[in-house]
Amino acid sequence: MKTRLSIIISVFFSIQAFCAAEPKFLIEEDPSLLTTVVDVVVQTGAVDDAPTKSGLTNLLAELMLRGTKTKNRSKFQNEVESLGASLDVRTTSDLIVFEGRVIQENTKAFLKLLEDAIVRPAFVPAEFQSLKTEVIASIANKKNQNGRLAGLAMRRHIFANTTLEHQVDGGMNTLTGITLDDVQKAYNDRFHQGNLLFAITSPVKSDEVKATLSAAWRQLPDGLKISRRSLPLKVPRKPLLIVVNKPGTSTGSLLQGQSGVTAQDPDRYALQLGNYSFGGDIQLSRLFHVIREELGWTYAIGSTYSAMGELTYQQGIYVISYTPSIEFTVKSLLKTLSMWKDYYQAGLKKEELISARESLVNSYPFEFDSAEKRLSHRLHSYLYNVPVLSPEDYEKKLKSISNDEIVKVLKAKQSPEGWIVAVVADPKEIQKQLDAEQKEVPEGERLKIGKVMTPDEVIQ
Amino acid sequence: MVAAQAADYEKVTEKTLFNGEKLLEYKLPNGLKVLFLPRHQAKVLTFQAWFDVGSVDEKLDPKLKKTGLAHLFEHMMFRGTEKVPDGKFDEITSRLGADKQNASTYFYRTNFFESVPSKQLEKILELESDRMEHLKLDLEGFEKEKGAVVGELRRHLDTPSGVAMDEVIQEAYDVGPYRYTVLGTESEIKGFTLEEAQYFYKTFYAPNNATLIVVGDTTESQLMGLVVKYYGAMKSQTIPKLSIPEEPAQKKERSKEISHPQATSDMLIVAYRGAAVESEDTIPLSLLTSHLSTGMEGRLRKLLVDKGIAVHASAFTSNRPDLFEFYVQLAEKHKAEEALRIIDGEIASLTRKPISKGSFVRARNQELLSLYSDIGDNSSMAGWLGEYLMVSGNYMRGFEIIDGYKKLTPLDLQRVSKKYLVKHNRSILIVRPGKKGNS
Repeated sequence: MKTRLSIIISVFFSIQAFCAAEPKFLIEEDPSLLTTVVDVVVQTGAVDDAPTKSGLTNLLAELMLRGTKTKNRSKFQNEVESLGASLDVRTTSDLIVFEGRVIQENTKAFLKLLEDAIVRPAFVPAEFQSLKTEVIASIANKKNQNGRLAGLAMRRHIFANTTLEHQVDGGMNTLTGITLDDVQKAYNDRFHQGNLLFAITSPVKSDEVKATLSAAWRQLPDGLKISRRSLPLKVPRKPLLIVVNKPGTSTGSLLQGQSGVTAQDPDRYALQLGNYSFGGDIQLSRLFHVIREELGWTYAIGSTYSAMGELTYQQGIYVISYTPSIEFTVKSLLKTLSMWKDYYQAGLKKEELISARESLVNSYPFEFDSAEKRLSHRLHSYLYNVPVLSPEDYEKKLKSISNDEIVKVLKAKQSPEGWIVAVVADPKEIQKQLDAEQKEVPEGERLKIGKVMTPDEVIQ
Repeated sequence: MVAAQAADYEKVTEKTLFNGEKLLEYKLPNGLKVLFLPRHQAKVLTFQAWFDVGSVDEKLDPKLKKTGLAHLFEHMMFRGTEKVPDGKFDEITSRLGADKQNASTYFYRTNFFESVPSKQLEKILELESDRMEHLKLDLEGFEKEKGAVVGELRRHLDTPSGVAMDEVIQEAYDVGPYRYTVLGTESEIKGFTLEEAQYFYKTFYAPNNATLIVVGDTTESQLMGLVVKYYGAMKSQTIPKLSIPEEPAQKKERSKEISHPQATSDMLIVAYRGAAVESEDTIPLSLLTSHLSTGMEGRLRKLLVDKGIAVHASAFTSNRPDLFEFYVQLAEKHKAEEALRIIDGEIASLTRKPISKGSFVRARNQELLSLYSDIGDNSSMAGWLGEYLMVSGNYMRGFEIIDGYKKLTPLDLQRVSKKYLVKHNRSILIVRPGKKGNS
């Protein structure tokens, strides 16, 4: 299928961070808590991996929890877990976040172990090999999960030829090429004082926590370069339909994606407000009301600007996902494409707009109903240079957005037909349904299968 | 604020939890139970309505004898009343600012829940009581909802792990209703009549079969005033006394192999008949699952995942049905039999000698971490209380189990391993990639 891909210029810009004399702490103290939660946030992520080494950041982060220079993996993990603690790590497109949680009485002992992991990782060859085997097996296992398979197929095309065409754990081919030297070099390059900060919620006095973590931070080299890259998305002008060949499904896992937004995008409030009533609210939206409630074709359907997690400097993907019964797969797809076009042209009805505003404003208190959530907002604000709106300001902001503005930003930021659609099903069944449903449609305007992939091709 | 009179409800107990929080229990004359845990850190609260009815009840009820209606009915509860038109319940609650609103059905219970800003308490009670008493059941809505439920069922059947979990229970149970899935079959779902739905609603959605749980920012007088206002006039019903047939003890190992077209590698589930939730053995069995599968040092992770044999391996207990299960998703090119041999080796080791003191402390502290992390959230706390109330009749049972860990030693874990993790007490289910069916 011929498509003209829209070209989005890759934006690369770097910030030369100053060398701070003191580490950055974001702290929420709450004496009623039973656990201390410490996030060590490192400002580097999957977007910094070369396309041929996709998955490197994730391997680095995971390997740091598999032994230190003073404790082998088993001793280290045993000590952590015996304290009533957990230490996990999460890699996103632009961050590594070590997530520590410990029952409050063992906070101090846990922080010493955390220091060991961040400052003195061992990078043992046997652990590296074992981790690689584990990650490769886990990627292969995605073939068992049709929803994930559809997401991966879509991603392979929308981020084609960039490191983000894979999820943060990489692809089967890219992982095999990553060496322990690559991991060690990535640690040396990316773990510096200036791109590391601490976010803590604790019932324990913050001075004690800060003293221990500051000592750890001082052991890291100073200076650094935080890279804030936004890789281009490739969105066609007309829908590109990819079928991942998996016969025998009784549902079709469908996922369609196009360009989303960054954390800083001034239009994000208008887009999110509109999307809430179009597909964002799982039960209230137009998509749910029509495809599920009126037509009964699918169990769940929804759309989101946060398909890649919270918004960041990287432009995200806007996604609609649903799992119709197999016989309604093409009907659901065509209906959803048509409903999107209507929404793109006219935005929301008056009542939908009022409903979306009220729902978002009234549920806003849940964004701040725990110390962890409050801290998460402060962290996001700090990392992406966006304000945390008070409930009053948030209400004011949403009330200022009219339907005309929603339509204006849809036209500026989104495409009426430019979707990459991935469906996991039998291609013959999809072809049969496409033929049956488009008899009245002129040949040149019909939706056609653009590509068939095997599950193995998707995870390569 | 609505003032309730003392005679309008009875304060049954007031308990102090391990973290100092107060938990209050009330009862209305019509049998409705209320649990309330005040929290004022934020101006929000969680409301949950739990009904003591699930798929087990419908299978045993002589007027129904099918499964799937309890779940289908959970969906119907969103279909509107005289006051609230079809499809508007979610819209209204969303506009109130509801968070995490949904519902779920299991073998022994059904629940409906939402979290809202605390100023919306009255509106939520009005809406929830309205659909509990005045649901409009019409054929058109009923038939439409069947389509959505069939979609949910098919999605479930496309998931190898979902099918495997159903199959292993069928393998492990001979006579009890747990053999039948909560979702039912497609033909059962399509075949339900409106009359059956009306009977189910009138019989089981009664105040004397329900418990309301509220955790968050309100007061006893405010809450109970509103509960009496909206629920006080409801009439109690005669709830059928359904007795679950006693399951004969398992005497020999059972094994079944199925294939699933969506599976790309083997899956293994080993289900041992376990202890009832009221049994003291539940406490060491529960801690044993933590030893086996919590954290990076969980035994199953070390033996199976770290060695590249599996991508996931865990152990867990469930109650009603009472099972102790191992679940392993094999890595490609590895066979279920390989995992089974390793699990058998680990069980042999558990029965031969007690685990080390260090491993025991690790397992216990991991359970504490899990509890402490969960119950700070209003919705999780309400869910914890509700689930234990429904499964055991005692909402404090979860806390009793955690507290019971303090009295255990490694010898207790060895004892229950010897008692329960024996071959004649287990059912093995293997899922292979391939066309659907039994191998």
